[in-house]
Parts: sequence; structure tokens; C-alpha cells
Amino acid sequence: MLDQYRQAIDQHRQRIYSFAHYSLRVAEDAEDVTQEVFIKLWQHWQKIDHGKLGAWLMRVAHNAVIDHVRQHRSTREQVDQFADVEQITQDLELGSTIDQDMFKRGLQLAIKDLDEPFRSIIIMRDVQGLSYECMQETLNMSESQVKVYLHRARRKLREDAQLRKMFDALTGSRKQKTTSTNKDEGSSHG
Amino acid sequence: MASNNESQCYFVQLQFDSYLDGELSQTQREEFQSHVHKCQLCASEFKYAQTVYDFVLELPQLDCDDHVLEPIHRLGGGFQVASTTKPTFWKSLQELFTPVPMFVRYAFATALLVVLVLPLVNLGLMPSSEMPPLVAELPAGEAPQYTPQEIQQALAELNLAIQYLNEVGQRTEVMIGDRFIVTPIQESLDASFEVMRRVNADPLQDDPI
Repeated sequence: MLDQYRQAIDQHRQRIYSFAHYSLRVAEDAEDVTQEVFIKLWQHWQKIDHGKLGAWLMRVAHNAVIDHVRQHRSTREQVDQFADVEQITQDLELGSTIDQDMFKRGLQLAIKDLDEPFRSIIIMRDVQGLSYECMQETLNMSESQVKVYLHRARRKLREDAQLRKMFDALTGSRKQKTTSTNKDEGSSHG
Repeated sequence: MASNNESQCYFVQLQFDSYLDGELSQTQREEFQSHVHKCQLCASEFKYAQTVYDFVLELPQLDCDDHVLEPIHRLGGGFQVASTTKPTFWKSLQELFTPVPMFVRYAFATALLVVLVLPLVNLGLMPSSEMPPLVAELPAGEAPQYTPQEIQQALAELNLAIQYLNEVGQRTEVMIGDRFIVTPIQESLDASFEVMRRVNADPLQDDPI
């Protein structure tokens, strides 16, 4: 039993931690949720269906994240690794440009700011590549419901104003690089 | 005409995600591509949608450090990361006996007990079947020197003491029975039966999820 338990941890730890991290943004909170999930796995090892272990773990992780968000809703002063992104978006009005890494961080921030279940669905499907079947069991929804929520989640993500600003800045910086490259080539040939 | 274009743009933009997921039919895909090629607004919006879609798919799978899971592995009684401390004597002993079947362990423990106890009994350190005499045996030929009056008085005093102890015992029984034993035990038994009744009535009350 101990070997199987350790195997289960090794197999699923990345997925659980990834889900918690993209949902909560703070590494320490994601670690707490990961520990909580695997402690519950140990406590309920004898009772669960091991054929659907992945879905069970995701469900526990999903519930743990929701509980964590509820408990720490007012704790905005928690230092997270995306505080600089919020500062950057405020500076975009001044015409500054950004790179792809900064846009990715802005994207993670926008994902975290989505409401449930849109955030969980987009993380499970697009970031982690879970199957619709696994998501059905995790979220207790039909496949058609999952697809509808997924499309809505993507639409809400695109409607994020800060993300849009960052995209415009990103494409603006790409155009600037292309223009400067053409100028350099022209001058070298000229 | 303008409203037709707007409604067409609206429906095409609704199909962005279906197109990106490859869920459109061949005909739908061709119509979609045709419109996006002609309409600058939809082309711009589609480029944004595709960029966001691609970047989300590229987000990496994250992993936690091993130290986060050390307490979890301790739940199972082991360490995934090699421990730098030496195993204790009892831990080593436990690991030594782990592959031995349970009945062999019990038999070994019983045999060890018998082997240790037998010599102690023979040496007289353990109580044997013979009980020591309650009254020390007097050397032969020596008898106690008491007068009949002394013996009679001693007996009377003994009877008084026994009578007094009986009375105290009876009073104590009543006190303990009434105040400290009967009522609390009765209440405790009633409470236990009530809990058992509730548990038996609802066996599924403990749901992990």
C-alpha cells in the first residue's frame, strides 16, 4: 500500500501543484493545498476507487482551492510573484512595450482573476490538457456543459482589459522590432 | 447591409474557440476562413484570440520542491529523500523483523518469555505454587505464655473491631452506591446506548468528499 501511495504522489504531484499554483498565484498557498490533497488521499486511501484516482485528486484539489480563496479573500496584501505585472499594466498608458514573458505573466494573472468554474476549467483543459471525461467527473458536469463553460471562460479571458492592453503592447513591440530590423538592413546595404 | 455584416461578424467571433479546437466541419471552416480573410475587424480579433489560445497552451506544468512532500511521505512511515540521520536501534530492529511472518514473531516472543521466566522461578525470585506460612513457625518445644484473661480480652477487642468495621463498611457502601457509582454509571450507559443507536441508524454520515 505504501509503494502504491508513493507512486500515486509521484504521478499526480505535478498536476495538483500546477492547478493550485495557477489558481492561487502564491507558491506557499499552492504548497499548502498540495499537502492537504495528499493528506486526504492517505486518509481515504481504502475508500476511493483507484481506477478514477486522477479525477478524485483533482476534485479534492478543486474544492481545496475554493475553500482557500474563500478564507483568504480579504488578504490582498499577500506578496505574490505577479505584483510587477500589475505595475507594468499601469505603465502601458505611457507607451511602454513588453516581451512575451511579461505577457505570459499577465495571462496567468488574468486566469487567476476569472471566477469559478471558468478558472478551473481553463486550467484543467488548456493548461493541463485533461480529457473531457476527467473534467466531467471532477466538476460533476456533462461534457456539453464543460465545453460551453470552456468557451465562455476563454471569452472572459479575452475580455480582460489589462490582458488586451498587454497584447497591444506586445504586438506594438513586435512591430517596432520588425521596423528597426528593416532599418538596420537598409543602412547596411546602403 | 451593414447590419448583415455585423451579425455575420458576431457569429464568426462566436466560432473562434470552436475553430481553434478543430470542432468545425469542413464547410464551416472554409466559410470562417473566408470571412476572416475579408473582414479586418474579425481578422484582428481572431489574431488576439489565437495569441491568447497559443500562450495558454504553452504555459508550463509546474512542480513543487521535494521538501513540500516530505511530511506527506512521513505519513507512510518512510522518506523519499534519503535521510542523513542514522536509523535508531528500534527502527533497525523493526526492519529486521518486517519480513518475518506474524505467527513466527509471536512464537519467538512466547518462547523467549518462557526461557527467561523458568530460571527465575527456579531461583525463587518468582512466586512459586507454595505459599509462605501466614504465621511464622515457632521452634519446636516453645509455646506462647498468655493468661486466659488476656486471651479473653483480646478476643473481645477483636470482636469490637470487627463490628465497627462492618458498620463503617455498610455506611460506605450506601454512600458510594448512591452518590458516586450507581447514578453516574446509569447515566453513562444510557448516553452510550443513545450514541450507538444513532450510529446504527445512519452508517453513511461520514462522507470524505
